[in-house]
Amino acid sequence: MMDKQQYTCVLVSDFNLQNFAGYLANDPEFPAIKAVTAPLGQPVSTLLHKDLPCWQNTPDVAVIWTRPQSVISDFNALLRYEQVTLQQVLQQVDEYSALLVNMSEGVRYAFVPFWVLPSYRSVFGVLDMKTEIGLTNTVMRMNLRLAENLEEASNIYVLNTHKWIERAGIHAFSPKLWYLGKIVFGNEVFKEAAQDVKAALRGMLGYARKLIIVDLDDTLWGGIVGDVGWENLVLGGHHHLGEAYVDFQQALKSMKNRGILLAIVSKNEQQVALEAIRKHPEMVLKLDDFAGWRINWQDKVQNILDLMTELNLGPQSAVFIDDNPGERARVKESLPEVFVPDWPRDPLLYPATLLSLRCFEMPSLSREDLDRATMYFTENKRQELKKTVRSLEEWLTRLAIRVQVEELHPANLQRATQLLNKTNQMNLSTRRMSEAELMAWAEQKHHRLWTLRVSDKFGDAGLTGILSLEIQDRSAQIVDFILSCRVLGRKIEETMLFTATHYARALGVEEVYARYIPTSKNKPCFDFFKSLAPRFQQQGDCFIRDGKEPFPVPEHIELVP
Amino acid sequence: MAMHEKITQILFSVIDELNQLRPPEEHLQKDLETPLTGDFGRLDSAGLINLIVVTEQQTAEELGIPILLTDDRTMSQVNQVFRTLGTLADYIHLLLKEKHDG
Repeated sequence: MMDKQQYTCVLVSDFNLQNFAGYLANDPEFPAIKAVTAPLGQPVSTLLHKDLPCWQNTPDVAVIWTRPQSVISDFNALLRYEQVTLQQVLQQVDEYSALLVNMSEGVRYAFVPFWVLPSYRSVFGVLDMKTEIGLTNTVMRMNLRLAENLEEASNIYVLNTHKWIERAGIHAFSPKLWYLGKIVFGNEVFKEAAQDVKAALRGMLGYARKLIIVDLDDTLWGGIVGDVGWENLVLGGHHHLGEAYVDFQQALKSMKNRGILLAIVSKNEQQVALEAIRKHPEMVLKLDDFAGWRINWQDKVQNILDLMTELNLGPQSAVFIDDNPGERARVKESLPEVFVPDWPRDPLLYPATLLSLRCFEMPSLSREDLDRATMYFTENKRQELKKTVRSLEEWLTRLAIRVQVEELHPANLQRATQLLNKTNQMNLSTRRMSEAELMAWAEQKHHRLWTLRVSDKFGDAGLTGILSLEIQDRSAQIVDFILSCRVLGRKIEETMLFTATHYARALGVEEVYARYIPTSKNKPCFDFFKSLAPRFQQQGDCFIRDGKEPFPVPEHIELVP
Repeated sequence: MAMHEKITQILFSVIDELNQLRPPEEHLQKDLETPLTGDFGRLDSAGLINLIVVTEQQTAEELGIPILLTDDRTMSQVNQVFRTLGTLADYIHLLLKEKHDG
């Protein structure tokens, strides 16, 4: 279930954003947003004064949406065709960027739609893209400079305003709305912007989809492979439909390369379908592009559930794509947490529909994301090994697991923050924080935070654990106890407890305890701590251990420096 | 479909648009008696601006005939024209009839 929390979003602008606020606040999609509008028309002053009411209580999000002429005075001079150099303009962009970076320290996330000019501004036509002359050329350079400057703040994201304008079409700019209400854009622009901001926020809160489950016949290729044979499928060649199916596969492959897992659920004879994937010369997707598949004549809902179990993912991670409206309706009804997009009947629209989905937003891309498909491939090898051994202990020993425990530092901050914000099951307190907030917390005197990298003979699972301690008078509280589901049940949990108790013991504390904060998803964490009795004693929502006794490190785990 | 009915449908579609900006408890009813401005009106100034602009756009798109709701003539009788959805429909009907009659 998505959380019900309402997130505060401060809107800062030199123009009227009331309509944007309306869409943000009243769009029924998760997450709920409370829009707070900063004083109208004073963006620079608002950014400078952190004591304004709108900045109190650390807002979750700020959207700073301005016209370039209102915050860059030299650009305003350019609009009047006065003599101003590009260098002067960019100097002011640097100053404005510094204001934004400074502001970002007081919010969790900030979004800055990049600057645009209405097309009627290009009065000099062909000179519009000339450096030092054309306004469009200058705005493009200003935007690039802004984006480069803002890269130093990990919680600021520059948004693509052009995308919204393109989708809004001829009503994107409305002189009428401007003169009547100081509203720059038509409502379609605000609607698109609100959806993008919400999608981005979902990603930051850990709700990005991680898996695309596709049907085969008339979805990945044209035709029914069981009827026509793989040689006669519509795929590639000099055929508009065939090209569209190839492009759709290319789009899926690009998603996979970005860290989204692919899987198949199809009603077919498995042997026939797999033969098509292996043998068709125009197949872009190969078998090893898929993390798993269920190709049989069983109910697709059950197949999806089985697949999710195999991949250790929850239904809220999945997107299901099928050309058959009946199958889509059944999955949508039975598995409401699986996202089932409306799918066009026309295959020519498949690639664009896939690439337009707003459910894969991620605040950052780590090496672990990019290697996710490989990791699932190696996971299959581990599970195959498991079938050949006699006990869990033997399996763990033969995996030759190595764990590297590191303090939080700039190089692992991005991945650690990502893990903190998206892990639901093995998560003791389910704290959600930005990179800056996490680093600030870890740097406090009585706080310690470690990350764990896990690898074994099959490969590197990457940074998959976070452990943090808060040292109080005579006790040490385990604040974060987070482990990715991809390494659960391999005694990494016990290794984390060894790390915590070993450190606490060195400080001479009397007790180490973990306070469990329940959510709708983290019962596995509770069950784990409960299973530790009597080594950890449960008292209400706390699990306590004598601080003088370190928890033993599991035998088959090798701790590496 | 009679012209007045077409205008009503356009205005109901405009209401759908405006309601996306409002919380559910403040949604405008798709009813010609729905008060817009005045003592019982449901629209603030920003709401009225949106109503005007979206109505002009949709009328032009649906009927292919542009109308103007921000001229002196309309603004001088704004409380009458925008009193209810029905009075607005009547006014648009009048504007279209005048255009048709030349």
